[in-house]
Amino acid sequence: MRRGDAQRRRRGETEFIAAPLRYHVAAPPLPAPPRLRVAPLWEAFKIAAASLRANKLRTALTLIGVVVGVAAVIAVVTIIKGLDQTVASTFSSQGSTVFTLAKRPQIILSREDAIRFNKRKDVTREDAEAVMRLCSACWRTGMAANFRATAKHGDRSSDNVAVRGITLSLFEIEDINVEAGRAWTESESAAARDVCVIGADLVDNLFNGAPAESVVGQTLRIAGREFEILGVAERLGNIFGFSRDSFALIPFPTYQKFFGARDSLVVHVQVPTADQLEDAKDQVRAIMRNRRGKTFADDDDGFAVETQDVFLDLYSKATSNIYIVTIGVAAISLVVGGIVVMNIMLVSVTERTREIGIRKAVGARQKDVLVQFLIEAVTLTALGGAFGVGTGFGLAYVISLLMRFPLLMSVWSAALGVGVSSLVGIASGLWPAWKAARLDPIEALRAE
Amino acid sequence: MSEATLTLPTEASESVISRGELLAREAVPAALISMRNIWKTYQMGEEQVHALNGVSFDVQKGEYVAIIGPSGSGKSTLMNLVGCLDTPTRGQYWINGKLVSEMDDDELARIRNKEVGFVFQTFNLLARATALHNVELPLIYAGVSAAERHERAREALRSVELADRMMHKPNELSGGQRQRVAIARALVNHPSILLADEPTGALDTHTSHEIMNLFERLHAEGNTIILVTHEHDIAARAHRIISIRDGHIEKDERVK
Repeated sequence: MRRGDAQRRRRGETEFIAAPLRYHVAAPPLPAPPRLRVAPLWEAFKIAAASLRANKLRTALTLIGVVVGVAAVIAVVTIIKGLDQTVASTFSSQGSTVFTLAKRPQIILSREDAIRFNKRKDVTREDAEAVMRLCSACWRTGMAANFRATAKHGDRSSDNVAVRGITLSLFEIEDINVEAGRAWTESESAAARDVCVIGADLVDNLFNGAPAESVVGQTLRIAGREFEILGVAERLGNIFGFSRDSFALIPFPTYQKFFGARDSLVVHVQVPTADQLEDAKDQVRAIMRNRRGKTFADDDDGFAVETQDVFLDLYSKATSNIYIVTIGVAAISLVVGGIVVMNIMLVSVTERTREIGIRKAVGARQKDVLVQFLIEAVTLTALGGAFGVGTGFGLAYVISLLMRFPLLMSVWSAALGVGVSSLVGIASGLWPAWKAARLDPIEALRAE
Repeated sequence: MSEATLTLPTEASESVISRGELLAREAVPAALISMRNIWKTYQMGEEQVHALNGVSFDVQKGEYVAIIGPSGSGKSTLMNLVGCLDTPTRGQYWINGKLVSEMDDDELARIRNKEVGFVFQTFNLLARATALHNVELPLIYAGVSAAERHERAREALRSVELADRMMHKPNELSGGQRQRVAIARALVNHPSILLADEPTGALDTHTSHEIMNLFERLHAEGNTIILVTHEHDIAARAHRIISIRDGHIEKDERVK
């Protein structure tokens, strides 16, 4: 008797022999095969990287859609974040303690509105004086009127200069710092002297960027009138590519003397703290409605009382529209990019049918093949996402240089760009990978 | 033991087989490979084509078997079944005590990985990968760590005398060398059977001899080899020849 038989007997098994067949009867049931773990993802990644490297041009062309989509989002997000910073720093300097009273709102969005607002009565010096006299919550009050003109010095000129006639209080309300020289005095204002404080752009354009101190005491001509330069204001820089330093400030009486009541004026009011703002605005509205003879039934004030918030509102409305458009563009290019990736993955599966057959013959399970092709698709799109992030930041950098705003590159937007494109990879790689996983090994090995 | 007594199934042996199946539902054959009444039927339009009709045979550990038959005889179908690339329409198939004929795709993949080493006529190496990586492939799917994989693949390549060609890609190797890489790949996971499908079909006479000598050496080292061929002189080097014709075993004889 052989050893195997003895062992089986000891285990209480009998041997059933049906010549020529031999069975071990009542053998223990087959143990379930231990779950084979997925070939490490790293292996799948290396395979994917190799196959992408083998088709460099195809890989690059496949990625364009994803790159464009991600780059668009990254660029816009980065640019808008930079603009946000600029806007915040610009408007916060005046804070929320200032408001204006004017004939027209600061922002007019339609022609009809423009016509309607133009029909309103001008805000006059008398209105301003009434506000100063009657508004108890108002702390500082000033007047301003302005028009645009060309300033000249010798044969040099500076176009599109905001010529503003202002009361002295505006220096405090608008926080205008005179860097060189000085502002005019009460008596110079009262005497309507021909003096001015200029912005840095005028120093650049009329005096060839000479030091601010050397400009003080010189003269310039606006609309045929000559003004002595008393001071130069601190440089403010750009916003959205527009200079904020192209201005000439002259005393309000001087403005009225030379340029008359060309247009309605603007009354600037400041309150000591932000919580008094609404109170002051209500008082000013009441005073003005009274002066305009408005009844409760009349919805239209016939004037505009506004804070800087209107700019912020417009800005956030504009940027949110830009966001929406960008997300639309990005979504379309990511969908198109995803379809391209899917198409290429299908081609890749067809081309590599034999490879899939070989892998299956040596023991790759459906899961292994699925994971391999999914990782290939994700590697492809994540690469596109990374390129897109790079391109987007590059674009934002160039635009930030041109428009002079700070470049704020955020890690989360980079991560989001790569993450979203990876998701596109999974979505577009799933079907091709499934097809590859389901291939019949015999058919696959037969493929050329 | 009476392993060579399996011949054409007769009326009587058929009934014994079915009785055996009935009595021994949980039974496991002792042979390394055991096929019982294997049928493979394809649906061709309206018609059913039986590529295999009732094939039964055993292969013991350490045997060197050639399966021979003309094209269309069903030997490729049989090879696919033996290699667990396919499942039979009917019948039982055990490898190493495991009932393969009722396994799902993933279980079959595991059997191919652990129990079967394939050698193909056209080598079927990954074109872009080095010889070493090709040999490592089964170990990747077996979940073997990278360091151990390298070591075992190197050893397998050394055993087929390709130690100096490990970093070459298939297109930098001769036909004989490619087939030896494929043999190293087949052996690297220590399978129960080495299954070669026309392994010399794409090689010249001299190289064919080299490869056949290698198979003989591997057999002498204790490997179980099943060789599928249509060439009689190649089959003659095996120790047992199973002739297939029209989907059944025509002859099963020991030659050495």
